[in-house]
Amino acid sequence: MSIPQWVFRPPFLIAVSIAVPWAAAIVVTALRRHLRTLACMAALGSIVVSAVLLREAPKGESLYQALMLLFSCLTFGATLVLPRRDCTVGTISGILFLLGSTLLAYSTGNLLVLLVAWILSIVPFLWPGWFRARTWRPLAGLLFSTLALALAIGLISASTGAISISNLRGRNPGGAGVFALLVVAVIFRKGILPAHAWVADAVEGGPALPTALLLNGHFGALLVAKLIVPLFPNMDSLFPVLSYLAIATALYVAIRALGENSPRRLLAFLALSQSACILSGLESRTAQGIAGALVHWFVVTVSTVALFGILRLLEVRFGENLTATKHLGLAEHAPRLAVSFAIFGLALVGLPGTLGFCSQDLLIHGTLTSHPLTGLLLPIATAMNAVSIFRLFTRLFLGKRRTGFTVTADALPRERWILAAGVLFVVLGGVFPNAIVVQHSAETDIVEQAVHTPANLDQVEPRSHVGDPVRSQTLRPMIVADNH
Amino acid sequence: MSASQAILTLVVMAPGVVFGTLALLWLFGWTPGERLLSWITGLTFSACTLGIAALTWIVISAANRSAPVAVTFGNWFAVGDYHFPLVLMADRLSLPFLALAAVLSGLIGQFSATYLHREPGFLRFFLLLHLFAFGSLLAFAAGSFDLLAAGWEMVGITSVLLIGFFQLRPAPVENGLRVFGVYRACDIGLLVGIFAMHHWAGTASFHDGFPALTGTRAVIVSLLLLLAASGKAAQVPFSGWLPRAMEGPTPSSAIFYGAISIHAGAYLLLRAEPLLARSVLASALVVLIGLATAIHGAIVGRASADAKTSLAYATLTQVGIVFIEIGLGWRWIAVAHILGNATVRTMQFLRAPSMLHDYHQMHSAIGGEVSTGGRQIEDLLPERVQLWLYRWAFDRGHLDTILDRWVIDPLVQLSAYLAKLDRIGTPWTSLRSGDVAPISLRGPAGQRGD
Repeated sequence: MSIPQWVFRPPFLIAVSIAVPWAAAIVVTALRRHLRTLACMAALGSIVVSAVLLREAPKGESLYQALMLLFSCLTFGATLVLPRRDCTVGTISGILFLLGSTLLAYSTGNLLVLLVAWILSIVPFLWPGWFRARTWRPLAGLLFSTLALALAIGLISASTGAISISNLRGRNPGGAGVFALLVVAVIFRKGILPAHAWVADAVEGGPALPTALLLNGHFGALLVAKLIVPLFPNMDSLFPVLSYLAIATALYVAIRALGENSPRRLLAFLALSQSACILSGLESRTAQGIAGALVHWFVVTVSTVALFGILRLLEVRFGENLTATKHLGLAEHAPRLAVSFAIFGLALVGLPGTLGFCSQDLLIHGTLTSHPLTGLLLPIATAMNAVSIFRLFTRLFLGKRRTGFTVTADALPRERWILAAGVLFVVLGGVFPNAIVVQHSAETDIVEQAVHTPANLDQVEPRSHVGDPVRSQTLRPMIVADNH
Repeated sequence: MSASQAILTLVVMAPGVVFGTLALLWLFGWTPGERLLSWITGLTFSACTLGIAALTWIVISAANRSAPVAVTFGNWFAVGDYHFPLVLMADRLSLPFLALAAVLSGLIGQFSATYLHREPGFLRFFLLLHLFAFGSLLAFAAGSFDLLAAGWEMVGITSVLLIGFFQLRPAPVENGLRVFGVYRACDIGLLVGIFAMHHWAGTASFHDGFPALTGTRAVIVSLLLLLAASGKAAQVPFSGWLPRAMEGPTPSSAIFYGAISIHAGAYLLLRAEPLLARSVLASALVVLIGLATAIHGAIVGRASADAKTSLAYATLTQVGIVFIEIGLGWRWIAVAHILGNATVRTMQFLRAPSMLHDYHQMHSAIGGEVSTGGRQIEDLLPERVQLWLYRWAFDRGHLDTILDRWVIDPLVQLSAYLAKLDRIGTPWTSLRSGDVAPISLRGPAGQRGD
């Protein structure tokens, strides 16, 4: 019996990938049993469907499918690593709801659907039964970003009457006002200076893994890649503002992290600083900068979720009063968690042998090319982040443990396997980076070329592609088709 | 791929493959025994040494002796007109360094099998030794500055992890953090220098000709590379980390700070020699830094209280002189100097733990203690100057104090100020005392490897 062809059509697959986790969230809430198993199966379903979507996607147009696959894998890993203490109905259903909302945001080409996905993704962090923040700043950050996006989308549809992103490409819909509102939405959602403080508050006061998943949806960067760069190619004079803010954020929180001793806040600052680099890379509008930003997106996402996961495992095993003021000596009891923490931490700050080295290399080249002076701050911020993550590693894992804690509390088999998979991703990605970089090099052209207006497109010659001469001939018609 | 290319590839990759395999197996729960580990280490570095001997023979016996053995694997990654070339190269400059790295790594492996017997971190030490060997072989066999930087960073991180090898004591761990900070700060010079080469010359490769940079551009890139080289080679004003690095086990001190790592900075300058030759300012600065370091090392070393730190400063003095030789353009004298210094210092470091035993043997052989009398060169100075110099040397030239006062303290104060800013708008009940540690990066006072 053959499988009907409509099963492999993207709209159906996308609907399945989103519906499965949402349906699983409802089942979990109703059944209240087998929580981890159900969550893993739902995430696995999204992984399989996203993988099929990625395979079916045309070359150079697979960025969002790749992101869907990445986020599904992250959710799968997070549900496996989630300590039993945290494995409650609220947490599991909230994570699954977040997965469906994030996939919806990645997959849509419609402004209104994007707004709905944006709102749904923050619902778990507003709802008291899920992960409602205890302080006002996370709530304010998320609400302000949503308000700014809603206003921007309202103005766009009012001024152009269109809500399809592909129809609006290169038209500067709504002008500088809408551009500014979108930038405000990015600033608040991504935690860019001066709206950075809510991220650390959310991480410190909220559940570690769901908050890490919320932050690593990277909706701010998504907005830049999906709306700001393609829709506003004529805002040349305003684009650098975003880059300056991103680099200022990277530097500011890197300095802030140097003196921070709360492990959760410190990790939040590092994640924020490194993810701000994604924005500066996207804005650099150079091939290296954009490709570096896209690869860095993957590195930051995997590394920070893994680091938060390991930190949560340590909190569960050794108490929640972990601090970086003294040496806790946890490596003696959890050597594999220590090694995994070191590898993910070093990957985050771009040490060689990891995928982070390649992404940092491309990012530094891209930002230095577009903004030489501010670009210099990027390696400085990264160097400070490296010192901070190494300090956290030494304080948590090295030294002598004094409490008389004698049992070994290393990673359990399920945790070990999923951490090993993450380690393999960042290490094998570092050894064979071209497999990932070339993939994103193709996406780079789409983002880079989108900067040019359709009117100017005739003068824009596609760049030659290393190792792929065919693409240089096929790219231009594809962009034209995409624009019209 | 010819036989020589295959040998070069195997020589560089072997320690990396051993490291990766052992690390992965450990991650999945298997720990090899000491005997197996030392056997694998011996086999790996013996094979590397034989391979390098064969390569040397091939290069020497070739009709054109200056032609290197080069292997091109294409690009590690490429985006647009930027690419990261993956080229390994063995030429007359890199071969002595490759031989030094392989022979000394093997030697240290064999020595450590006994020295670290039943030490809890036995496997960790050998894993890091293989990673270090891989990093150093990669840096020395790199055909481009991009690849050199990758090996360079690996050497740096293994160095830091081995300083903190005795992880149960806070001092080694904190000193490792301090060294890491200095390395990362100075490596910015290498990263930005490589970017400048790509930006201005379109390449950072040197296997088929050196990046064509002249004038101000050559000066800027030279100075950036000099910053990286000075940090790695502990030159003034970055010498403060060297005594702190003596916290690691003696075999790692021997190979890192007596031989390979401390000379990596000199290797970088030797590689960048065509650039230095085009920049009088940079060459002069290399000579000045080398001179200052040689004097600093000679004076401070005389006031060091322990054997390893004295040896470290003796090495530093010689590396300072090597820098002078490089700045003056005496390339091959510098290479010979490095080889001799590295070999002698490794031997001295490895003998350091048994120094008392050696003295006792010597005393019993000569029938009494050796006279500690005799004139020292500092006796020629006025007493006030002697006292001032002693105080200066005792605090190791005040270099750490300067770094603390002018770099680390302002950064930590700025961090504390930013923390206050971040608290605006939060209720006072949410503040947590002790969240900001003013001395978190300074390391333990008075615990600098003594």
